[in-house]
Order: sequence, then structure tokens, then C-alpha cells
Amino acid sequence: MNYLTDSLHALATSLRNAFRAPTTVEFPDVIRPRPERYRTTFALLNDEQGDQLCIGCLMCERICPSTVIAIKAAGKRESPVTGKKRGYADDFVLDLSACIYCELCVQVCPVDAIVMTRAPEVPTFSREDLVLTMERLYANGVDKPRAWGDGTRLMAMQEPAPGAAPAHHAPKAPTPSGPSAHTDDKPASSAAVREEPQ
Amino acid sequence: MLRTLQVERRVDPHLSIDRYDPEAELLLLHFGPQHPATHGVFRMDLYLDGEIVVKCVPYVGYLHRAVEKLCEVLTYSQVTPIVDKNDYVSPMTNEQAINLAFEKLLGLEVPRRARWIRTVFAEMQRIASHLLWLGTFAMDLGGALGGGATVFMHAFRERESIMDLFEEVSGSRFHYNTHTIGGNRHDIPAGWSGRVKQALDVIEARIGEYEAMTLENRIFHERTRGVGVLDGTLALELGITGPNLRASGVDHDLRRDAPFHAYDEITVNVITAEGGDCLARTQVRMGELRESIRIVRAMIDSIPEGPINGGKPIKLVNSIKIPAGQTYVAMETPRGELGTYLIADGSPKAQRLKIRPPSLHALSAMPYILPGGTVSDALAILGSLDPIMGEVDR
Repeated sequence: MNYLTDSLHALATSLRNAFRAPTTVEFPDVIRPRPERYRTTFALLNDEQGDQLCIGCLMCERICPSTVIAIKAAGKRESPVTGKKRGYADDFVLDLSACIYCELCVQVCPVDAIVMTRAPEVPTFSREDLVLTMERLYANGVDKPRAWGDGTRLMAMQEPAPGAAPAHHAPKAPTPSGPSAHTDDKPASSAAVREEPQ
Repeated sequence: MLRTLQVERRVDPHLSIDRYDPEAELLLLHFGPQHPATHGVFRMDLYLDGEIVVKCVPYVGYLHRAVEKLCEVLTYSQVTPIVDKNDYVSPMTNEQAINLAFEKLLGLEVPRRARWIRTVFAEMQRIASHLLWLGTFAMDLGGALGGGATVFMHAFRERESIMDLFEEVSGSRFHYNTHTIGGNRHDIPAGWSGRVKQALDVIEARIGEYEAMTLENRIFHERTRGVGVLDGTLALELGITGPNLRASGVDHDLRRDAPFHAYDEITVNVITAEGGDCLARTQVRMGELRESIRIVRAMIDSIPEGPINGGKPIKLVNSIKIPAGQTYVAMETPRGELGTYLIADGSPKAQRLKIRPPSLHALSAMPYILPGGTVSDALAILGSLDPIMGEVDR
């Protein structure tokens, strides 16, 4: 080894890399393909009739490790669409400036009301813009493409095998995982949670 | 008047500086906390005699975020995403370590599929972490290596392909929150293993290029050989683990010696090197890059079918109550033994949760191995120890 040949060797590596295809893209003009589960900011969804899905059960507010969600539950009132009594949220604020994007609020939502979106985050000029008010969350649900994950899908993915007492190291018979049967606890838990705001 | 200062490499860090050379006019250099070479926020007081470092006093705590206290305030369901930020270069290993402790006290069996996926994730994190280390270490050593930032750019380009793969799994590039108590939150998507193998092919082909610019480069050798020699006895005394310990000739790796996840079903060739200097630490990490690629290749096609979660998915904030007891669980992260000491009292919150970070122990070697070296050696030694301040200060 001497300095000259080693330096030439390193230079050759640099030259070889100079002619490789670039791995970066010009971001605002070209957007790289996002994976299916890509998730960024948040949205609240409406159901098909335009009624708010959120029932004000406070599950997401309680699970949030950073306590960025603040909900004012309205209690039960008649739905303007169906006329049935159900829970509502009067106010829903999510502070993105402290959010750690852990997706736990999406996972625990019993009615799949809160989801994340696929839209790349837009930098803001003020901190106030990072506070997602209820109007902005519902607007996100209309404007922005929603991400793959919601409560039902995330729970179904993690559902343990039905009645399987896990055997140590025993090679399991291949059981189909993934989009398996609907979790039977979903309607039950959402019914139970509806009692909570009282 | 020329005068050489004779300083033994191994000195007592708490010794008074007056005992070294009373006649010397020592210069006190505050190094850090916001120097880019400190890999975060870390401060050392360097007492210099000319260019020679006589004494080094490290100060930590600039990135303290009270994670251990947060783990007592939050419930077990909420803790996993918080610890992602401890070792922010390999976040998944933090989640795995803390969940291993919860699962052990709960007596929860993690399904075999989840254990295999965890192993693959851990090894891919090792590749990404060592790539980041290589880039930043080459940049610490400065301009000689093809322009300084060249290796850094190349290593980050390859690391990016691993981040893309993790993004496909969890939807997030860095703070994944992809583990849960009893297993994983996200199953691997269809066709993922093929893309992993593609990325590994690229990375493996390019390891030779990194070596051409580092391990086969004379300038690199002169900056690292014999610099920061850490002998095995001292390393064991200080509790140093991981690649830093293996570079001192101690054959110790928790993946083989105390298998967790699915490491009992796969052979791990432990890479060691003699010498204990910065060069040996580089050799070990480059060897581990290749070894991790081999392990991922061996496992990725034979991940068993089955559920990915052995417990109940997290639904309620208070639903997980760990029975009273205490446990210590250790796993091998890219930086060494990451231990979690958990005291539970039967409530949904931990009574005490202590995290033993490998980087803190690695940093504790600085006062021993730095004196006698030059200021530029200080950067090389600090970089070669691969400390991550997020987990040092927590």
C-alpha cells in the first residue's frame, strides 16, 4: 500500500459511483412511489350518509403517549341522519407539533373514525398551522387520500390465532394469517365504549 | 525548548491533573457539546499539552429526556413508541428490548413467526446502523478518504434502501412502533422478502467499495492503527459490550451466548478482532455487515406461517397489567447489550424501569484510552466507539 495507489483506488471508486444512476429525485417535481402503508398526517372520516363517525369515546385521547389529542365529548344525542341516539364529539383537537406518529390512536378507534393520510406533509410557517382542529381533521378526510391502516385492519392483522395455546418451538401448522375472519370483539367493544361518555 | 510528555495510555481518570506534569502549561479545551463530531450533544473537557491530550473528562446529559421516568408515568400499552427515540439509529431494537421484558414477566409466548420477523428486523437494523456508523466515522476522520463526505454519502444511500423496506412494513421511516407486547403490530407485506434480497445484493456488492476507501487505504490505517487501544480486561471492567468488546479480542455475543428471538434456530458467526484499536473496531463492524446480510438471507425465505401476536392487541390503555415481580432482559443491539430492568407491581404502570444502554459504557472508556493521543485522535476514538447520545442520556 502506498499513498498514490490508494488514493487512485479511492478515486476509481468515486468515479464508478459518479456514473451510477442517481437514487434521489427532485422532490417537488418528482414524488417517489409511496408504499401502501405510508402514513403521515391525520383525518377524521364521515360515514356514507355524511354523519360524523367519531363517537367521542375518548379511547384515542387516553392511549396517546404524548397526550396531543383533546376531545370534548358531547354525550348522546340524536343523529341528524338516522335519528338514532349515539355519542358525538363536540370538539376534537390534535396537536401535530408534539405527535410522534405511533398510530396507536388509529389502532384503538372502535369505529375507524380517525385514520392517517397518505398526503405528504406540507411544511407550515406557523405553529398554529400544526394544530389540527376538528374542521381541519374532517377536511383532511375529504381532501386527502387516506392511509391503509385503520382500527379494524390493524386489529385483524395482530389478532392471535383462534384458541391457539402457543406451543414452544413446535412448528405450527400453517394457518392463514392476514385478513382473517372479522374480529368478533369489534362491535362488542364499540357498544361498550358508547356507554362511556355518560 | 522541545519537551516530550510521557503519559501512559491507561490512567486513572479521576487523578488530579497536577500529578501529570506540573511544569506543563495545560490548555483546557471544551470540546462540544454541539460539535458535529460528537454525534449528538456530548461534551468533553480536554486538558492539552500542546497537541497531546493529558486528561479527558466527559460530561453527558445534554439529551436527557426522562425516558425512564416516562416509562413509569405511561402505561405498558403506551411505552413502546416512546423508547423508539433512545437509540435513534436502530429504533426497532429498543422496542424489542422493552417488549422482551414485558413478555418475560407476563409469561407471554411470542409466536414463532413474530420471533423470526423480529430477528430479521434486528439484523436489518444492524446493517443500517453499521452503515450509518461507517459514514459518520469516515467523515470524522476527515478529508483524506476521497473527500471526507464521500463514504458518508455512499453509506447513507445504501442505508436509505433499508429505511424504504421498513417503511413498507410499518408506514413510517424512523419511529416505527411496529412491535407490541406479545409480538408485532405489522405483518410483513407480500413480496417484501424479494425486495429485501434485492437491497441486500446491492449492499453486499458495495461493501467492497467501502473497504477500498477505508480498510484498504493507507491514510485510513495511519489514522486508526494503534489509536485508542482498549484492552480486553479494561473493556470487561467497564462493562463494554458489542463490537467494541469484540474488537478487543473478547469473544462475546448475546445472539450466540444467550439467544433471544429466533437466534437459537440460526448459527451466528461472531466476528472478533485483535488489537482493540480504531482499526479493529472498523474490521469488526465491516465483518458484521457481511454476517448480518448472511443471516437475513438465510432467514427471509423461511419465515414460518402463523399469527404475529401472542397477546391481545392493544385496545385499552389500562388493559395490560403485569404481575408483581422483577426481571432483567438483555439483547444484543448493534451497539452491544441493551438491558431492561423492570420492576412491576401489578398495576398497569411499571414501578421502575431501568434501561442499560451500551453506548454509555462505551463512552466511559474515553478517559482511559484517550490520554496520550492527539486532539485528532479524540475524534477518531469517539467515532469508533459508536456512541448514540439518545440512549446515553435517555
